[in-house]
Amino acid sequence: MPYLLRKFLILLLTLWVAVTLNFILPRLVPGDPVGAMIARYQGKLDPSAVDALKLAYGLNDQGGLLGQYFAYLGKLLRGDFGRSIGQFPTPVSEIIAQAAPWTIGLIGVCTVLAVVLGSALGLYSAWRRGQPLADALPPLALFLNSMPYFWFALLLLYLLAFKSSVFPLSGGLDPFLTPHSPTWWVSLLRHATLPALTIIVTSAGGWLITMRNNVMGVMSEDYIAFARAKGLSEGRILNRYVLRNALLPSFTAFGMALGFVVGGSILTETVFSYPGLGLQLYNAVTNLDYPLMQAIFLYIALAVLIANFVVDALYALLDPRVRDGKAA
Amino acid sequence: MPQTEPHARSTAKPNAADEPAPALILEGLTKVFQVGRSGRSVTAVNNVTLSIGRGEVLGLVGESGSGKSTIARLIAHLHEPTSGAMCLAGKPVPRQLRGRALTRFRKDVQMIFQDPFASLNPLHTIGYTLARPLEIHGFARKGNVQAQVSTLLDRVGLSPGASYAAKRPHELSGGQRQRVVIARALAARPELILADEPTSALDVSIRLDIMNLLLDLRDQEGLSMLFITHDLAGARYMSDRIAVMYAGYLVEIGPAERVIGQPQMPYTQLLKRAAPKPEGNLNAGGLEAPGEIPDLANLPPGCPFEPRCPHARAVCRAGLPRMYDVGAGHQARCILHDPELAAQPLLHPALQPHATL
Amino acid sequence: MKGLLTILRRSPRAAFGVGLLAALLLLALLAPLLTPYSPTSQAFGTWLKPGGEHLLGTTALGQDIWSQLVYGARLTLLIGFTAGLVATAIGTALGLSAAYFGGRTDEAINVLINVFLVLPGLPLLIIASAFLRGGGVWSIILVIALTGWAWGARVLRSQALALRNRDFVQAAIVSGERPARIIFAEMLPNLAGLIAAGFFSTALYAVLSEAALAFLGMGDVSQVTWGTMMYWAQARGALLQGAWWWVAAPGLCIALLGTAFALVNFGIDEVTNPRVIHEARATRVLRRNRAAPQAEPALEPPQPLLAIRHLSAGYVTPQGPVRAVRDVTLSVAPGEFLGLAGESGCGKSTLAFAATRLLDAPGVVFDGEARLAGQDLLALNPAELRRVRWKDYSLVFQASMNILNPVLRIREQVYDAMQAHGVQDRGRLEARARELFALVGIREDYLNAYPHQLSGGMKQRVVIAIALALEPKLVVMDEPTTALDVVVQRQILQEIDAVRKRLGISIVFITHDLSLLVEMSDRIAIMYAGEVVEEAPAHELYAQPKHPYTRRLMGAFPPLEGPRERREGIPGRPPSLAQDIPYCPFFERCPNHLPGTCDVFKPARVEVTSGHSVACFLHSPAVKEEAYAAD
Ligand SMILES: Nc1ncnc2c1ncn2[C@@H]1O[C@H](COP(=O)(O)OP(=O)(O)OP(=O)(O)O)[C@@H](O)[C@H]1O
Ligand SMILES: Nc1ncnc2c1ncn2[C@@H]1O[C@H](COP(=O)(O)OP(=O)(O)O)[C@@H](O)[C@H]1O
Ligand code: SF4
Ligand code: SF4
Ligand SMILES: [Mg+2]
Ligand SMILES: [Mg+2]
Repeated sequence: MPYLLRKFLILLLTLWVAVTLNFILPRLVPGDPVGAMIARYQGKLDPSAVDALKLAYGLNDQGGLLGQYFAYLGKLLRGDFGRSIGQFPTPVSEIIAQAAPWTIGLIGVCTVLAVVLGSALGLYSAWRRGQPLADALPPLALFLNSMPYFWFALLLLYLLAFKSSVFPLSGGLDPFLTPHSPTWWVSLLRHATLPALTIIVTSAGGWLITMRNNVMGVMSEDYIAFARAKGLSEGRILNRYVLRNALLPSFTAFGMALGFVVGGSILTETVFSYPGLGLQLYNAVTNLDYPLMQAIFLYIALAVLIANFVVDALYALLDPRVRDGKAA
Repeated sequence: MPQTEPHARSTAKPNAADEPAPALILEGLTKVFQVGRSGRSVTAVNNVTLSIGRGEVLGLVGESGSGKSTIARLIAHLHEPTSGAMCLAGKPVPRQLRGRALTRFRKDVQMIFQDPFASLNPLHTIGYTLARPLEIHGFARKGNVQAQVSTLLDRVGLSPGASYAAKRPHELSGGQRQRVVIARALAARPELILADEPTSALDVSIRLDIMNLLLDLRDQEGLSMLFITHDLAGARYMSDRIAVMYAGYLVEIGPAERVIGQPQMPYTQLLKRAAPKPEGNLNAGGLEAPGEIPDLANLPPGCPFEPRCPHARAVCRAGLPRMYDVGAGHQARCILHDPELAAQPLLHPALQPHATL
Repeated sequence: MKGLLTILRRSPRAAFGVGLLAALLLLALLAPLLTPYSPTSQAFGTWLKPGGEHLLGTTALGQDIWSQLVYGARLTLLIGFTAGLVATAIGTALGLSAAYFGGRTDEAINVLINVFLVLPGLPLLIIASAFLRGGGVWSIILVIALTGWAWGARVLRSQALALRNRDFVQAAIVSGERPARIIFAEMLPNLAGLIAAGFFSTALYAVLSEAALAFLGMGDVSQVTWGTMMYWAQARGALLQGAWWWVAAPGLCIALLGTAFALVNFGIDEVTNPRVIHEARATRVLRRNRAAPQAEPALEPPQPLLAIRHLSAGYVTPQGPVRAVRDVTLSVAPGEFLGLAGESGCGKSTLAFAATRLLDAPGVVFDGEARLAGQDLLALNPAELRRVRWKDYSLVFQASMNILNPVLRIREQVYDAMQAHGVQDRGRLEARARELFALVGIREDYLNAYPHQLSGGMKQRVVIAIALALEPKLVVMDEPTTALDVVVQRQILQEIDAVRKRLGISIVFITHDLSLLVEMSDRIAIMYAGEVVEEAPAHELYAQPKHPYTRRLMGAFPPLEGPRERREGIPGRPPSLAQDIPYCPFFERCPNHLPGTCDVFKPARVEVTSGHSVACFLHSPAVKEEAYAAD
């Protein structure tokens, strides 16, 4: 399928850009990043950690830039992301493996919920245009969508955890619970509620607006006029004509939106000390743990790209025009 | 097997002795487009040879997708031809033009587009739109641009011109806009005007006015014109000669009266039978040609019309028929004009031949 | 500038957004007037509550929060606007170059856009600023712009590509304009709305990103912005101290700023992309209760199938009502083919859609009735109407690209018309669909195709097949073949004719093309400026047109045979339908007009010979009373 092949090539290219950015950024910094790091840790750093750091940046073998670049690519291909500085000598990949499920679970579930909720409200708001509630939704959605994630998270934390202790203040689980026991599940859900609420409320607004625009676009198409003339029932027009067509452009919006949600969840996790990648990234940034930081970035990029590719494939499945290569 | 064809002489100006070179000569013009990401090759214009005499209107007719607009765009250098040669007023025009040479060329060849609502920038005043070609081609001296603009507007029947110059396109009706578009084409004082369906987007009541305006301008300024249309009656009204396109090929060319009156190629006959005729009866003479214009990426090997042609013979599949001379300045691409080949048995006996040649 | 005012006038949301934006800008500009304190001065008590001297209390270090808020607006807005500008400039330059140069340039830029579109922005931003730490505000602006330009570029590129193929750009090229001028004078101004929208979106992205970076402690936290305010509030445990306002105020300001940007965008889109939304379940009927609705006696024994009487319809616009159909009376006998002709804008479509209650808002029926087999369609409620539609009458729209739902197979779209009216049995549906396709001359395997796999002519045949699915008694066709080629048009017309004769259905056929109508119709009605000015059997109308308008319209078609001579069009334009026309509407263009009569009275349509009626004082002195003039 040439469409998917093209998308896959773009995925590879994007991945390559991400990797290369990762390689270039530390070298853009004026001066010597490792030196700066060492200076910052003021000798608290293990000599072996210093070596690891130099190794990570290919600074010890004084080969040319190109040589360093290929060595770096080779290490990535072998899955070697180096060791964390902040939590020396834990390999970076181990930290990621521990944190990733939290983030993937949180973002995965929340994105699905936000898309469903936002799109449903957007559909309602466009379909029932003219009614007070339907017309009040878009400005509200714009407001919710413009809130800084962490700000809304802080307010929730203040109101629902600090003031009224309905939900825990931080963390992802209470300690000392038997995994998968009912209390474990309850604890898991209670800890996830506020972060999830933050992500859903702030991102659903965007989906609402997207969906509303799409629906309005579809409703001005000739085939809707024709469907009405045919005497189809409202339900059928809504389902088979409006919804099917209006959902399609949402797929193309998904890629950009996902990047945004991921960014938001980093902040959200930070506020709630939720033990996912976002928190790790935050810690890495505050500890100047460059290897961890970069690995997390690569990991996030890869995950977003894969999710995007899956969505593109789904799109091709749903739109016969894309399947036949008539539209991109 | 493309044949070299004797190129048709203009019948417009009969003083043969010191006749100047034709306004335009196209030799074997071909355009292949690469479409989509897969890069399918679509041959939109296939080895077209024709000429337009000085002061002549050549009508170009054919179904949509037959390559009419592409020919106009090739002549106007909006596309680059894949192969073929072109002469403007006797001088060869290089296939690639840049910079000054291109600007000089653009002065001589102007174009009128189909949709007057789309061919004027909605944000510019009529005055700006008309002043630009004057400035580009150096007709504007300080102070007299406005006077020239309003003369132009008067010439296309928008008087007083000065009052129209300040308007924007949305303040004008379709017919008025098309007049502005014509005025823009005239501003550069071109030799040749390419009119790509200038009337099809207009209402019936103003089509004639626009056609009359173009004819008047031709008479007054001796302009040469390529008049593209899909309306046979309109082509007959406007043109001295008519060329018929099918699937990128030129299939018939000749004096307007003859091409419409006695079409010599089955496709032209089909077009004529399909045209609305108030005195006719809808079902008098069914259309025996089934199907539609072939896929340009996948043309039949011989005559492009063969799959639909009720007269088709086996030779029609073998190779592209050449142009046959079928009268004074009249040529048709059909083997029926070769008595030997025409004697062969029919290929699609199920299609009832309606008329014979 | 004028565009901006239009947007504000037409879109209250945009006006609100602009107001909000102006308020926040004023906050920033007038900061020294709004507060006596410096935002960095630590001269006050710590953790003071809002009220009194300190509108929003003080920070843990004893700074005045209100001062920080108003002064913070400056840098926040600066970052938002500058990053937005830079990103928009990058996006515009790339999008326009891609569109103008096309080919490989376009392909390369497109890939670049796609790459940046899916690179997760904030994580990239975070690590980039982690490395560029200490670069100050400008490096942050740069990094934000570099990660945020792609969205705008994507939209701009696709719009610019469409613009590039518009005729006026082509015309500019042909007239010899240079590339720079084409890009900057022709294309760019037409993209202004889009560029503005891109700017506001990236500005929002920039403000949010700056806040996020500041909150993570990555920006220059010694500067006062709304983001750094929240950083310090969090760092000093403002919420634990119960000083929620320290957090709430700057965040709220950011959210409001974002809302303002988004509302402006919303308004730009609303005004530059006006859409006709097809949501009419049934056209609104405004008619007053007639004194005696059944006053007119039942017509002569062969009852007409469709009887339109005194129908007035049109559009309710902000500039007042447009009466596009004015007191039209017409009837269609069973099995009859009625042609409706007239120049563009004379109300043909409005008549057809109003009579069948399919006119979309702002269209309304002002008055009159439309009876189909005795039942007044204008009196039905939407549910009743839905049942009657397609079963008793159907419509064929103008052949358009998007007349069929692109994501459903043809089969489903043929089925669902029948299913909506009670045919549920799969076998029957299938058999009927095959039958219909045979009727309009399409191969059965096209039932499995999707609309994009069909040519325009094929699509129109499918639409006709769907219109015939339930064997309605009446089919209304609004320019069904106008967009098609002559050969295809003729094939379809012949099929329509054969079907109609076979099934005995009536057809109302609308077109510009009078010569086509004469060939097809039993009877023809000529419309002009919302009125039917002449009605006659087709061949009589052709042989002896009586109304001067009809005569001129006939003359406007050059013939295929006979002498080639100059003909005249119809000079002038029809009168505006927004006004009352209490005189002959053709008066200004009529070569035979009778001054003192035609411009003072309105001719009534009267039957001058059997079945041939005309509204013109040359043929009858009858004057028409204006029924609605007193409305
Ligand atoms: N939504 C609308 N709002 C206001 N006026 C409208 C609207 N739609 C149409 N009109 C006006 O109503 C009149 C009749 O329009 P209508 O579409 O019925 O004409 P028509 O005869 O079908 O023309 P055409 O041949 O171009 O299809 C026109 O003057 C038009 O400007
Ligand atoms: N820029 C283009 N790229 C690809 N194909 C094109 C392009 N322009 C025209 N074609 C194709 O060339 C054929 C002839 O088009 P055109 O010259 O516009 O026909 P006409 O003017 O006779 O309707 C069509 O099949 C069309 O799709
Ligand atoms: S007879 Fe042969 S050459 Fe002539 S039009 Fe038919 S197929 Fe073409
Ligand atoms: S009534 Fe008068 S103005 Fe109107 S058409 Fe007849 S002659 Fe002309
Ligand atoms: Mg064309
Ligand atoms: Mg219409």
